[in-house]
Amino acid sequence: MDFGSFLTVPEIKVKVVTYRDIFQDKAMIENRFGEEYRDRSAVIKLDPADLKQLSVKKGDTVILKNSFGRVVVRAEESGYETSHRGIAYMPNSPWSNILVSDETGGTGVPKFKDISVTVTSAKGEKVTEPGF
Amino acid sequence: MEKNYHVCTGCGLLCDDIEVESEKNIINKVYTACRVGVAHMKEGKEEAIFRVDNKPVNEETAISEAASILKNAKNPLIFGLGTSTSETHKLAIELARKTNATLDDTSSFCLGSLVEALIHNKIKTCTLDDVRNKADVIIFWGADPSDSHPRHLSKYSYFPRGSEKQRGWEEERTAIAIDIRKSHTAKICGNYFFQIPPGGDTEFIDALIAGLSGKLPKTSYNYPPKKILELANILKGAKFGIVFAGLGLIYSLENLEPLFRLMKALNEKANFHLVPMVGHYNMRGFNENLFAETGYVNSVKFENDIVKHGPEYSIVESLKAKTVDAALIIGSDPLSSLPRSIAKNLFEIPVISMDPCETLTSRNAKVYINTAISGVEAGGTATRMDGTKVSFKPVVETNHPSDEAILKKIMEAL
Amino acid sequence: MTNAMELYQMLPKTNCKKCGKTSCMAFAVALMARELTPDDCPPLKDEPKYREGYEKISGLFKPSEGATETGLVVHEDLCFGCGNCVVACPVNVANDPYGVGSGNAPKNINKLILTIENGIVKAQNVGECRRFGKNKILCNGCIVTCPVEAIEFV
Repeated sequence: MDFGSFLTVPEIKVKVVTYRDIFQDKAMIENRFGEEYRDRSAVIKLDPADLKQLSVKKGDTVILKNSFGRVVVRAEESGYETSHRGIAYMPNSPWSNILVSDETGGTGVPKFKDISVTVTSAKGEKVTEPGF
Repeated sequence: MEKNYHVCTGCGLLCDDIEVESEKNIINKVYTACRVGVAHMKEGKEEAIFRVDNKPVNEETAISEAASILKNAKNPLIFGLGTSTSETHKLAIELARKTNATLDDTSSFCLGSLVEALIHNKIKTCTLDDVRNKADVIIFWGADPSDSHPRHLSKYSYFPRGSEKQRGWEEERTAIAIDIRKSHTAKICGNYFFQIPPGGDTEFIDALIAGLSGKLPKTSYNYPPKKILELANILKGAKFGIVFAGLGLIYSLENLEPLFRLMKALNEKANFHLVPMVGHYNMRGFNENLFAETGYVNSVKFENDIVKHGPEYSIVESLKAKTVDAALIIGSDPLSSLPRSIAKNLFEIPVISMDPCETLTSRNAKVYINTAISGVEAGGTATRMDGTKVSFKPVVETNHPSDEAILKKIMEAL
Repeated sequence: MTNAMELYQMLPKTNCKKCGKTSCMAFAVALMARELTPDDCPPLKDEPKYREGYEKISGLFKPSEGATETGLVVHEDLCFGCGNCVVACPVNVANDPYGVGSGNAPKNINKLILTIENGIVKAQNVGECRRFGKNKILCNGCIVTCPVEAIEFV
């Protein structure tokens, strides 16, 4: 019997902060539908301890989910010296925007840099295509 | 020999010292520009494309279809324009008046409020040339110009020699980064990187204000008071200080009051200016141009002869509330850049996309008009992030129509 | 920027003469001239209390691995083309104060060491670099100003 299927997949909650990346910008200008832009956009940078808790290796795909959407992106180590468990970073892109809340309090300004999601291993599922 | 320099319209820095080598209107080499600038300069494609309902058409058909969409709409949205010239802005405003449109740009969800405060003289500002010539204390707050405006530090804010800064950055300038992560810019700032928790900006501002007047700076996240006092001391000694405010700071504040408080406190003890880290090359120009015409910087609705203004006329709120019934998107890709939960409402209305490149928005538009790259294939004037006016000529010739030419034709067709 | 005096500060300063020189200062001068290596100072190499100094100095004198004759390597894939190094390089500033020294495009490109071409830093005239020649110093202007460690001396 496959007991593995009864075990819950480790899941963590993180707050995603988006940022700008020069190579991602460059790739976007060259081709918004190209591989390079996807590779540099569909990424989440996590604290190594969070990766460990998810039993995910860097470069593996993970599922990011909240009530606004679901995306599969690659998980990477942030490389920051100071620990930031529970906080993750994503380049600002159509992938991060799938997860941004529509709640703005009437201000016209969505919370692009403050996104709450759950993260789980995507078990090899491919990175989400950006189209509709 | 006087060299032929071009302006790079790749970002809000509008670098004016770019040399290119081109042959048959194709740019082969670019000198002095950064990675993003080079990609932008070389973006040009061959054939102009016009599409209606995803089928190729000629220019005339695309324009008449666009005009009829706008004519039939009761409240069309005109949006974008951050990468258009000021000449194009004026036409877009005229078109919005004519069609009783809602008019907005990306500044409504990024730095528009800050530019508005500068226009109203609520904060002391200066030019980037002043920064190069005089600045001794430079703060990057919630901003990472190394990635967003790559030549910012080398051309203006930290490394160059200026008329009153002849001895170089090591001796005469202090660069400080205040951010929630160690960005590339924070790395360059070395020991002057102050890492705060996400959303901790307002508290840090108030702690810093306390520190400036010699009080004990307190934060709920227990930022070492000694470090804040150390920072306050550096700021107090500034003869010409500058705060470069980025989206990281603005998104973290509920309103601009804390920033006004900080600038006031800084100017009681020292001499401080602020420049917003405007991303798109002419976003600030759009804010100024619309302000000159209407008294507002963004989020307006024209109704016969009156102009209404408020967040309900921003792209985000008007799409969310579904108050607009068509959209003309100029040089912008809201399907990529807005939250999908809001952008998806664009599918319910006819969209006209004018853009030099294919985007999610252009691919899903009813009408697509492939325009010239503003600043590379078409000339005009723009306002740099610091408010300086810059004019530029096209770098290469093209058969793509400029967005200015298209707007003129749409207006004629109405 | 490093000079013999700064190297001396990282040495044991005991003048034990085990390296064959008469003093630690003389050893520092020999290091600068690349006559000796950090490993030639036995206390520095072996005694734990000098480990920090040993590692720092060794870092400054990494052996060359297939670099140009001057050891300057540009990692093109990392470079942003921001030009920080171009503007911070003291040789560039001295030779073109109103061009690159002031943050602008080069006015005197033939005399420069670092320039930006197609968005990537390019090194030329590397023999002019302050790290080489008779009066060399361990200048690091282009290294500390780089956001991504795209320039390295090996």
